[in-house]
Amino acid sequence: MKYESQRIAYWFFATCMLLFSLQIVYGFIMGFAHAGMDGLHDFIPFHTARATHTNLLVMWNLAGFMGAAYYIIPEECEREIYWPTLAKIQLGALVIVGVTAIVGFHVGWFEGRKFLEIPRPLDFLVVIDVLLFIANIAMTIWKGKRITTTSSVLFFGLLMAALLYLPGMIPTDNQTEDSYWRWWVVHLWVEGVWELIMGGILAFLLIKLTGIDREIIEKWLYIIVGLTFLSGILGTGHHYYYIGTPKYWLWIGGLFSALEPLAFLGMAIYGITMAKRGGRKHPNRTALAWTVGTCVMSFVGAGFLGFAHTLPQVNMYTHGTLVTAMHGHMAFWGAYAMLVLAIITYAMPLLTGRKLYDTPSATFAFWTSNIGMIAMTLAFAVAGVTQVVLERRMGMEFLAVQTEIEVHFWGLILAASLFTLGVIAFIYNFVRHGLPKGEIERSSATEEKEPDESPALEAAPGAAE
Amino acid sequence: MLSKSAARTFFLVGTAACGLAFVLLTLDTFRQIPGQTREENLTEAAIRGKHLFDQSNCMGCHTILGEGAYYAPELTRVYERRGPEFIAAMLRDPEAMYPGQRRMQQYDFTEEEIADLVAFLEWVNGMDLNGFPPAPPLAAAAGTTAQATVADGRPAVFNQMCVACHAVGGRGGAVGPALDGIATRFDRDYFTRWLADPAAIRPGTTMPKLPLSDQHIAELSDYLASLEN
Ligand code: HEM
Ligand code: HEM
Ligand SMILES: [Fe+2]
Repeated sequence: MKYESQRIAYWFFATCMLLFSLQIVYGFIMGFAHAGMDGLHDFIPFHTARATHTNLLVMWNLAGFMGAAYYIIPEECEREIYWPTLAKIQLGALVIVGVTAIVGFHVGWFEGRKFLEIPRPLDFLVVIDVLLFIANIAMTIWKGKRITTTSSVLFFGLLMAALLYLPGMIPTDNQTEDSYWRWWVVHLWVEGVWELIMGGILAFLLIKLTGIDREIIEKWLYIIVGLTFLSGILGTGHHYYYIGTPKYWLWIGGLFSALEPLAFLGMAIYGITMAKRGGRKHPNRTALAWTVGTCVMSFVGAGFLGFAHTLPQVNMYTHGTLVTAMHGHMAFWGAYAMLVLAIITYAMPLLTGRKLYDTPSATFAFWTSNIGMIAMTLAFAVAGVTQVVLERRMGMEFLAVQTEIEVHFWGLILAASLFTLGVIAFIYNFVRHGLPKGEIERSSATEEKEPDESPALEAAPGAAE
Repeated sequence: MLSKSAARTFFLVGTAACGLAFVLLTLDTFRQIPGQTREENLTEAAIRGKHLFDQSNCMGCHTILGEGAYYAPELTRVYERRGPEFIAAMLRDPEAMYPGQRRMQQYDFTEEEIADLVAFLEWVNGMDLNGFPPAPPLAAAAGTTAQATVADGRPAVFNQMCVACHAVGGRGGAVGPALDGIATRFDRDYFTRWLADPAAIRPGTTMPKLPLSDQHIAELSDYLASLEN
């Protein structure tokens, strides 16, 4: 840690841990309901649990991105956060809006469109809050000593994420138009601008952890985000096959979304190559594991499992089944949850000054949560494929099929328990690090000297532009 | 090898071109949506129904147009599959149709609200969705209800309501008993009385009183009386 105001990131990360734990509780509620045990039905009906589960996920991912930005931007721009107090207020406001939304779900206050369940008045508050955050980051970059590609990509991703929230608020009476705009948020987030955020954070982590030349990493960053938009924008069409929109989306969406895995493949190859080439100079090996893990698991979850149901001929049968849930879990985990956990793992020792690096419990957290998530994905996959065959291909009654696949939800619950053990270990490590009382390293400090601070690069900040 | 500035140009040009194409396609799509979704049939009631559908978070359990949750049935073609009476009965009392099965929330809708929701589902049912949801291609081989037609002698209402719980010839739900050979145990008159009010004949039965017209009951009684083996 080099700047006082980076400490703020800690509070965002702590919020992540809290919301993530709650998210898992609601996951279990739904898992049990699917397995036939809906004892909570009268207090927390399935739809409440679901809205809570997914909104908490999005909320902690966003909190993680914000924390990451508050940590990364000062170092990239070589100055303190422009308005450190605003950052704290803005976190507080985000938490208050979030809690209101979650409480609202439990008393039936919904807007009721998948992933955009929070009611309209709260939407406005979210937008204002995020714009304050963006302004703070923008001012920091603007007044900073240098503008790097990493910080620009991260900033552009965050800004676009805020702006793309707006189409989801366009009022309409037509279900098809409603759905059309909903995907501008949901798809253009996870398969568009969030990938920029991901690219930016990964580039920062790889530069710090592998010591590879910034120029090389940032060049690949451009290629990867270029591929993302080249495929991802028109790839939105894979959600426009069967919702009452013209037929040309079948081939446009099919063609471009089939190319989307390339960006994730690029990310995986880039992460692995950089980690190999860079040697393992940095002592925080666990952070490198999470970083490379993100590159690999996002390819599996988003690239591979996304491709599995993206062609219109396949999607015709899998559309709106548990196959989607299978992909949704692994993709969100691999790309965004792991990403946030990677930056947390990297930043915590620096923020708190306790260099706990790869203790057994940190290694345990990494492997157990990942193996657990792979097992969960398999459980969803078996349930989903069975559902597709029995319901969509053979025409069995919905509820009869659900009874058939109940057993796979016991499998899911088992796998999720393993996953949860890993997450508990992660949170234990987080708490063990203590509060953000780490010392500010002056540039003379040698012990924590980051590999990227080679004089050659420092001498040529312009080249990094 | 590609330089960094070439990589940046690739990113900027690619993004701009795809963004522009996407905006143009969006404009054309919005031109076509009213026709393809039969917006002329989008009544005031259906619009109220849509917003009620959202506020009740129906998508939190069901899918519609294939979007939503995977806990409860797809609703895109439910109007055709089950008919308005069945839907209304479900909305009045969620445990009416599938007693002892997975439960829907009791929303306490008014009759107007129920009519609005049914109107919304009727409108969605009429959309042109490029072939979704598909007819199950393996239905014939699997011998499931989806393949059953009126040609089998099944009245349409049987395929809408009864199959939700009962099977005939292995086709249909498993909530209630299979009805094969039922005619050997009861006569037509019994079926008529039973369908009018199951609990009046066997108190405590889990079979609900279905929203059936006299005409429906007559058709169903004829059909059940024909099920001799
Ligand atoms: C990190 C990236 C990704 C994440 C987090 C993600 C997550 C999700 C989620 C949560 C859904 C359900 C959305 C809803 O119904 O509202 C979904 C749907 C879908 N995703 Fe992804 N996804 C990612 C990348 C991809 C990629 C790269 C592809 C294709 C190659 C893809 C293909 C699809 C398809 C086809 C659907 C629609 C499924 C259906 O018809 O029900 N996804 N994704
Ligand atoms: C203990 C762990 C978890 C369990 C038992 C669990 C279970 C579930 C269940 C049952 C659903 C609803 C499926 C339906 O609509 O019927 C769901 C939805 C979802 N969960 Fe989880 N979950 C867990 C953890 C996670 C994690 C860690 C993530 C993300 C990293 C996640 C992301 C999602 C997403 C994106 C959806 C919506 C999927 C879609 O609509 O296709 N879940 N989860
Ligand atoms: Fe998508």
